[in-house]
Amino acid sequence: MSTIWLPCGVYHQNYVQDHAWWQTKFIKGKMILLFIILFVVIPLVADSYWLSVCNQVGYTVLGALGVQLLIGFCGQITLGHAAFIAVGAYTSTLLILEFPWPKFMMDFGIAYPFSILIAAFTAGIWSLLFGLPSARVKGFYLILTTMAAQFITVDFIITQYVSQIGGRGQAFSLPPGTIKVGPWVIDSDLKVYFMMLVLVILCVIIMVNLLRSRVGRAWVAIRDNDISAEVMGINVVKYKLLAFFVAGFIGGIAGAFWISNIAAISPEHFPWFWSLWLVGVILIGGVGSIHGTIFGSIFMVVVMEVLQLAIMPLADIYPKLLMDFLFIKEAAFGLAICLFMIFEPNGLAYRWWQIKNYFNLWPFSY
Amino acid sequence: MFAKNMWSKFIISLFIVALVAGFSSMAGAETIKVGSLNDMTGATSDVGKDYALGIAEAIHYVNDNGGINGKQIKLYQFDYGYRIPEALTKYNLFKRLKCVAILGWGTGDTEALAPTVARDKIPYISASYSGHLCKPEKTPYNLFFATDYSTQSRGLITVWFDKKWPQKPDYGKRKPRIAMCYMTASPFSSSSIKAAKEQANMLGFEIGPDQSISLFAIDTKSQILALKEFKPDVLLHTNTVMSVAATLRDSYALGLGADHLVKCWGYDENLPKLAGKAAEGVIGCAPWAFFGLDVPLMDKVIEYAKKYNPGVPLEKRTIHTVQAWASALGLAEALKRADKAGDLSGEGILRKGFETMKDFEIGLGIAPVTYTATDHRPQSIAKIYEYKNGKFSLLDEVDLKKRWPDKWANEWLGW
Repeated sequence: MSTIWLPCGVYHQNYVQDHAWWQTKFIKGKMILLFIILFVVIPLVADSYWLSVCNQVGYTVLGALGVQLLIGFCGQITLGHAAFIAVGAYTSTLLILEFPWPKFMMDFGIAYPFSILIAAFTAGIWSLLFGLPSARVKGFYLILTTMAAQFITVDFIITQYVSQIGGRGQAFSLPPGTIKVGPWVIDSDLKVYFMMLVLVILCVIIMVNLLRSRVGRAWVAIRDNDISAEVMGINVVKYKLLAFFVAGFIGGIAGAFWISNIAAISPEHFPWFWSLWLVGVILIGGVGSIHGTIFGSIFMVVVMEVLQLAIMPLADIYPKLLMDFLFIKEAAFGLAICLFMIFEPNGLAYRWWQIKNYFNLWPFSY
Repeated sequence: MFAKNMWSKFIISLFIVALVAGFSSMAGAETIKVGSLNDMTGATSDVGKDYALGIAEAIHYVNDNGGINGKQIKLYQFDYGYRIPEALTKYNLFKRLKCVAILGWGTGDTEALAPTVARDKIPYISASYSGHLCKPEKTPYNLFFATDYSTQSRGLITVWFDKKWPQKPDYGKRKPRIAMCYMTASPFSSSSIKAAKEQANMLGFEIGPDQSISLFAIDTKSQILALKEFKPDVLLHTNTVMSVAATLRDSYALGLGADHLVKCWGYDENLPKLAGKAAEGVIGCAPWAFFGLDVPLMDKVIEYAKKYNPGVPLEKRTIHTVQAWASALGLAEALKRADKAGDLSGEGILRKGFETMKDFEIGLGIAPVTYTATDHRPQSIAKIYEYKNGKFSLLDEVDLKKRWPDKWANEWLGW
């Protein structure tokens, strides 16, 4: 029994057990069920609209993971993450449109996955550059330097120079068939969905593994008290920059994924508001929790869509309700952040943890 | 306690009923479903609100007058706040609702959705009039009922060159000087700049440094000061009205002394209200009549504005309502033609609806509309107005196709 339920306490006897991915058979079963739902049930049940909503959730998760790493695990507040997503998106797009790929790479669908990797590295290095001020400044001052990343990258470099490459005007459009992964041309919401799942799972694995390693412990130490961390021998600057690199890397993957979803980009896709939105996602989901990133993304995308669907029948009686919904949505977003800050500062992840514990400890859950 | 419980149960039941009905609302009766994507809260909401109201009113008008050959249009209208990711989700929602066509909004969402729209074969009638959308080879399902931005910009520069430049003291002594003010980051603002520069070069202008002015700009003094060195005779503005008004005000205050040419979205009844004296003499392109002018169907526009949005005073309504009516009525006509031909598929609406329009008159002061299978520029005439003595009056009409037939046919399509 104890191997299934972990009833009233944790009986791990070594660190390997303590840090294991799936600690009991029950958890393994739950995870297999989750995989079946994600890879089989949703694709079978969901139509194009719901798949696109899922893709939107995936894009938000990929974007917010980097923000979670910086704010939630390393204590480096960022308000310019959309810039690194933009770098990833533009790198991948330009590589596909302009780079003279050998024919076999295009034919075998290697070019796009390769461009995702290069986009991730480029965005990582770009993020690292804007992380350099973190060696000297923190708190509010760091917010301003990360905001500078947004304005310098998107409003200046991408808009003024990168967008002009190839003389297409501001909007880059990817011709059909160019986004190809192996034998699959990514041309439907379903294929984008599968690609999103793979990327999200990979990024989550990378993040979780980093967090349970020496690197992750260093980040958390810096978050909790950077002076103490330095006293303990952690190279604070090195690990801060590494956090910026990894956050940018995942942001780059998010950007490169985004182009498969829409097949066109312009600087307008990466407004400063998106950086702020991603911070909202982790605040609602739970700062310092990978679960929180996912819950926050689901909340911000799915709940709003469901609410929208719920008011649609009422629109027959009050036609303006549909139009006015965005006002309600914006207000709901602001209100949700206020309420979470007041009543649930640890976010949805904490609530999830409580629910899980209630059932794990049932019937002695007091 | 009991009351509180009852109340929460009622709310939950209402929500569940609404949700179930929402999920099941896809099955419809004899209606034709049309989606409308609008911006009432985002970057272009200063002009988007009026447009959104106009769309809803125009669809009411169509339904009240027999609908689409007896079938009513069911309009799903959403605000996406000019957020591109949200536009994509809304587009998929329209698909799910089985909308046969979509009334879209800005250049950002329209150009971003163009590949998807072409793949799904759903006619997308935007309020973006970018010249990039007019080449059927590239964007077959993107259409609109207006003069495209490139034609507008070319027309504005041409009319200024014909009518205003000869009145300047330096005429004949030097080249006229022009500079462009627009938000470089915005595909909407920058979409016609290439065409405008080509036109200016062709007419022998000297082109000054571009000034990047945000759509949200409230202060543009640094840009105007930068332009003072160049001493432009005329500025071309391609932003929306609030930003254009800020530029006009600063230009007036700093004594730049240039004339101003404004693309349709920056040229409406709010411009004089926002820019005051600085709006005097401003020239703009307006493919439709201003709200309340005496043109066919304007009486209906006013009647429906009063009927469905009595809370918005008529003096606050603008040309964008008329614009919206043009889009909605144009789509309704295409739907009628396609329905008559018995084919309301996306391809049917395009081929048997839109592409059968030849010199089609909508009314509302808009020039006749023609679509062909190879050219989706709806019209070649740019109607140029001037704001003088407190009113907008027609300064000139320039037909670019007549004036430069070769270039119109061979060079200018698609940009």
